[in-house]
Amino acid sequence: MGKLLVPLVAAVGLALLPMLGLGGYVLNVMVMIFIFTMLAVSLDLVMGWAGQFSFAHAAFFGIGAYTAAIAQRDFNTGFWLNLPAGIVTTGLSGLLLGLPALRLRGHFLAIVTIAFQTIVYLALTQWKSVTGGQFGIEVRPVEGLATIGSFYYLALALSVITVAIGWALTHSRLGRAWQAVRDDEVLARAIGLNTTAFKLAAFVLAAGFAGAAGVLVAHHVRGVTPDDFTVLTSATIVAMVVVGGRGTIWGPVAGAVVFTALPEVLGFAASYRLVIYGFLMILMIIVMPEGVFGAWLQRRGK
Amino acid sequence: MNGFLVRRAVVALLAAAVVPFAAAQSGDPVRLGVMLPLTGGAALAGTSLLEGVKFAADEANAKGGIKGRPIQLFIENDEASTTKGVTAVRKLIESDKVIAISGTYASAVALAAFKVAREYKVPMISAGSTSSNVTDANTPGDPWFFRAFPGSDEQGAQSARDIVKKLNAKKVAVLYENSIYGSSLMEQMKKMIPQYGGEIVSVESYNGDERDFYSVLTKVRAKQPDAIYIAGLMDAGAQIIKQSREVGMKTALIGSGSMMSDKLVELAGPASEGFAVSSMFEPATPNKFGQAFTQAWRQKMKKEPDLYSALGYDSMHVLIEAARRAPKLDGASIQATLKTMKDVPLAEGPDGTFSTFDEKGSVSFKIGLAVVRNGKRQWLPFD
Amino acid sequence: MELLSLFPQFLANGVVNGASYVLVAVGLTLVFGILNIVNFAHGEFYMLGGYAGVTASTLLGFPLVPTLIVVVLCLAAFGMLAERVVFRPLGIRDPSNAIIASFGLSVLLQNGALLVFGAQPKTLRTDLANVPVQIGSVFLTGQRVLIVVVAMGVVTALFLVLRYTWTGRALRAMAQHPVVAQISGVNVRKVAVITFAIAGAMSGVAGALMSSVLLVQPTSGGMLVMKAFTVVILGGMGSIAGAVLAGVGLGVIEAMVSGYVGNELRDMIGFFLVIAMLLLRPQGLLGQSTERS
Repeated sequence: MGKLLVPLVAAVGLALLPMLGLGGYVLNVMVMIFIFTMLAVSLDLVMGWAGQFSFAHAAFFGIGAYTAAIAQRDFNTGFWLNLPAGIVTTGLSGLLLGLPALRLRGHFLAIVTIAFQTIVYLALTQWKSVTGGQFGIEVRPVEGLATIGSFYYLALALSVITVAIGWALTHSRLGRAWQAVRDDEVLARAIGLNTTAFKLAAFVLAAGFAGAAGVLVAHHVRGVTPDDFTVLTSATIVAMVVVGGRGTIWGPVAGAVVFTALPEVLGFAASYRLVIYGFLMILMIIVMPEGVFGAWLQRRGK
Repeated sequence: MNGFLVRRAVVALLAAAVVPFAAAQSGDPVRLGVMLPLTGGAALAGTSLLEGVKFAADEANAKGGIKGRPIQLFIENDEASTTKGVTAVRKLIESDKVIAISGTYASAVALAAFKVAREYKVPMISAGSTSSNVTDANTPGDPWFFRAFPGSDEQGAQSARDIVKKLNAKKVAVLYENSIYGSSLMEQMKKMIPQYGGEIVSVESYNGDERDFYSVLTKVRAKQPDAIYIAGLMDAGAQIIKQSREVGMKTALIGSGSMMSDKLVELAGPASEGFAVSSMFEPATPNKFGQAFTQAWRQKMKKEPDLYSALGYDSMHVLIEAARRAPKLDGASIQATLKTMKDVPLAEGPDGTFSTFDEKGSVSFKIGLAVVRNGKRQWLPFD
Repeated sequence: MELLSLFPQFLANGVVNGASYVLVAVGLTLVFGILNIVNFAHGEFYMLGGYAGVTASTLLGFPLVPTLIVVVLCLAAFGMLAERVVFRPLGIRDPSNAIIASFGLSVLLQNGALLVFGAQPKTLRTDLANVPVQIGSVFLTGQRVLIVVVAMGVVTALFLVLRYTWTGRALRAMAQHPVVAQISGVNVRKVAVITFAIAGAMSGVAGALMSSVLLVQPTSGGMLVMKAFTVVILGGMGSIAGAVLAGVGLGVIEAMVSGYVGNELRDMIGFFLVIAMLLLRPQGLLGQSTERS
C-alpha cells in the first residue's frame, strides 16, 4: 500500500485545488485532464495490459457523449441517468467491435479499429436526423452542479474511480491473465486460458470507461459535435498511453496530463504543437518504447 | 507533472492579485479579446479576419485609443473546435481579463463560446460566424452575441431572391456542404426559392473535404437546372466551378458569401467566368465608409482588402466604438451600449449601413451580387 | 430510367479515381508485403508529391515531364529518408511500434507541410488539365486520362522489374521468405531502402498528377491513406494484382454509390467493405492466407 501514498496525497491535493481561487480557466483545464485521464487509463487496459490495439477510443468517447445528448433531448434525462446509459451503450459497442475484430492480428486489428472509428465519425456527421450532423446537440448542465467549481468535483471523483478500478483490475487475477495474453498469446491459450474472453473483457471495460468520459464531456462542454471525436483524438489518446508508458496505469495518467496541459502552455505555438506531438511520438517509440513512466520504473529496478 | 501545474497555478494566482491593483492607474490598456481559427481548415479565413481586426485596433490606437487608453488585443486560436473554443473563452476572460470579445468564425464554436461568455457577462461580436442559430440562442431583447451583418437566414433569403429575380433562374439545384453553415443556407433555399416563384430540382450534399465532384455534378446535370447554388467554402467551391465546366455544364453558378475572394477566382481559373456570389463588400463598394476603409487599407497593407478584411474590421471597430461610448469599461456596460447603438457606420453593405442591431443581435442590410467578368468581380447594382 | 444513361460517366469517374488509388496502394502493399511494415504516413508521400509537383511546375516553370521526374526523384529520396530515420531504428522488436511511429510521422508531416506551404490549397496548372476529352456521352479532361495511362504504365513497369530483374527477384524473395532470402545473399538493408524508394515515388507521382484534378493541401494525404489501406486489404496485403483489382474496383464502387445512392456515403462505403472483408476473408481477394490470432 506504500505505493499508493503518492497518488492518495495527489488526490487530496486535487480535491483542495478549487479553494485556491484559481479561476474558471484553470479548473476547466483540470476537468479536461480528468476526462482524458479516464480515456488514457482505460485504453491502457487494452493496449498496455491485454497487449491489443485500438485506434477507436475516440469513437467510444463519442458514442458515450452522444448517448447522453440524445437521451436528454428525447427522454429528458439528467446526468445520473445518462451516465449508466452511456456506459452500457458503449460497453455494447465495444462488444460489437471486439467480437469480430479480436480474431485478427496486430495490424489488421489496428486497421479495423480505425475503420470503426471513421465509420462512427462519418455516421455522427451524416445521420443528421439522429445526431444533428455538424450542428451537434445541445446538452444541459448537470442539475445542482452547474458551476465549474462544483462540476470539478464530479469530474475528479469519476476519474479517481476510474484509476482506482483500473489499478484494482490490473492487480487482480484478471490483470495477470491479461499479462499472459500480452506476453505470449499462443502459450496462454496452450495453458488453457480463454484468451478471446479476456481480450474481449479488456475491450468492453475500456469502452465503458470511455463512454463515461463521454457523458462527462457532454455535460461539461454543454454540447456534442462530431469534430471532438475524430481519428486524431484517438491518436492523441494512443500517444498519451504510449508516451506515458504502456501497462503502468500511472504512465497514461502522466501522458493525459502532459498532452492536455501542453497545448495550453504552448498556446501561441499551436501550429507547432502538432509538429511537436508527431515528433514526440516517433522519438518516444524509438528511444523509449516503454514510455516515460515505464523507463523510470525500469531504472528503479522494478 | 503535478509540480509543474502547481507552479503555473501559483503564477496565475499572483498575477490575478496584481492586475486589479495595476488597473487602478490610468493609461493602462483596455483589454479586448479576439478568438479565431488560426490553424486547421478554417485558418485561411481566420488569419484574414485577424488582419482586419488588428487593422481596426491599430487605427483606433493611432487616434488615441479609448478615452486616452491604448487598446490591447488578446488573441486566442480556437482551431474551429468547440472544446478549444470553450477553453479559449475562459482563458480570455479569466486569465487575460478581457471585457469584450470579437469572435469567432465557425458557428458551432461561436454558439458554445458565447454561452460561456454570457455567464461571465462578457459580450461577443461575431468575427464571421454566419449561422442564424447562434443569434437565435440570444434572449430576444437582451443579446450577448452580436453580428454586424445579416445572418444565414437573411443571407439565404436574399440569395434566393437574387437567383430567381436577377438571374432569371426558375429551376434551381442546391449543392451544400455538410456543415452548419451549408445546411442552414440549404434549408433557407428550400424555403425561399419557391416563395419567389422558383423551383428546387435537386439537393445534394458533400463533405467539407471533398474535392472530386464529377459524379454529383453528373447527377445534377441530368436534372437540367437553370442555376446551381453552392453553399460552402472556397476550396470546394473552386473545384465545383472548375469541374462543372469539365463535365460539360454551362449552367449559371452562384456561391454563398464565403466564396467571395480572389483566391477562388485564381483556383477555379477561366471556368469562374460568369460566377456570381453574394457579396457584402468589394473594394469598389459604393459605401462611403467602406471606401475610406479601402483607401486606408491599401495604403497601409499594400494590397486590396477583401470580405474577410472588412468583416474583421467591422467586428472590432464596432466593439471599440461601443467601449468608447460605454459609461463603464466592463462587459455589461458594453453590451448595453451595443444594444442601443444605432449610428456606427459599417464598411460592409450598401452606402449608409449602420450598426443597428435587432432584438436578436443581428444587423440587416442589402447584400449585393458580384459577378466575375474577365477574371475580376463586378458588382451588380444594389436595388 | 434516365439515371442509367449516366452509367458510363460514373464508370469513367470511378476508373480515374481508381487509378490514383492503385498507384498509392501498390506502394503500400509492397512495403507491407516485403518488409512487413504498416506505414500510416504513406498518404503524406502523396501529399508531398503534390507539393513537389506544384513547386516544380509553378515556381520553376518546368513542363509536365521534367516535373514528374523531379517528383519521382524527390519522393524516392524522401521514402528512403523515412526508412532510414524512422523505420530502421525500430527494428523488429514489436511491429505495432511501427504503426505508432508512422502515425506520429503522419502528424509531423501534415503539420510541417502546413507550416511550410500554408493552408491555402494549391493546384498544378498543366496544359493537359483543360483539354476536354469527350468519348460518347462521357466527359473527361486530358489530365484525367493521363492519370489512368500513367498508372497502367507504372504498374506494368513495376511488374516487369519484379519479374525479370535481379533487384526484383531479391524483393520477391524477401516477401516470400526473409530468412532464406538472407541466407541466399540478399542484402536486407538495400531491399528495405529500394522498397521505400519505390513506394514513395509511386505515391508522389499520384499526388502530383492528382493535384491538377483535386488541389493539394496539407491534409490531402489523410483520407487517401485510409482509402489506400482499404484497397490493400480488399486486394490482399502483399499482392500487387490484388491492389490493382481492388483499387479500380473501389474507385468504381464509390462513383456508383455517389451517383446512385448519395454523395455523402461515398467515403463510408470503403470502410464497410474493409470490415466485411476482414471478417469474412481477412487475406483479401488475392492475398495469401494469414494466420488468425
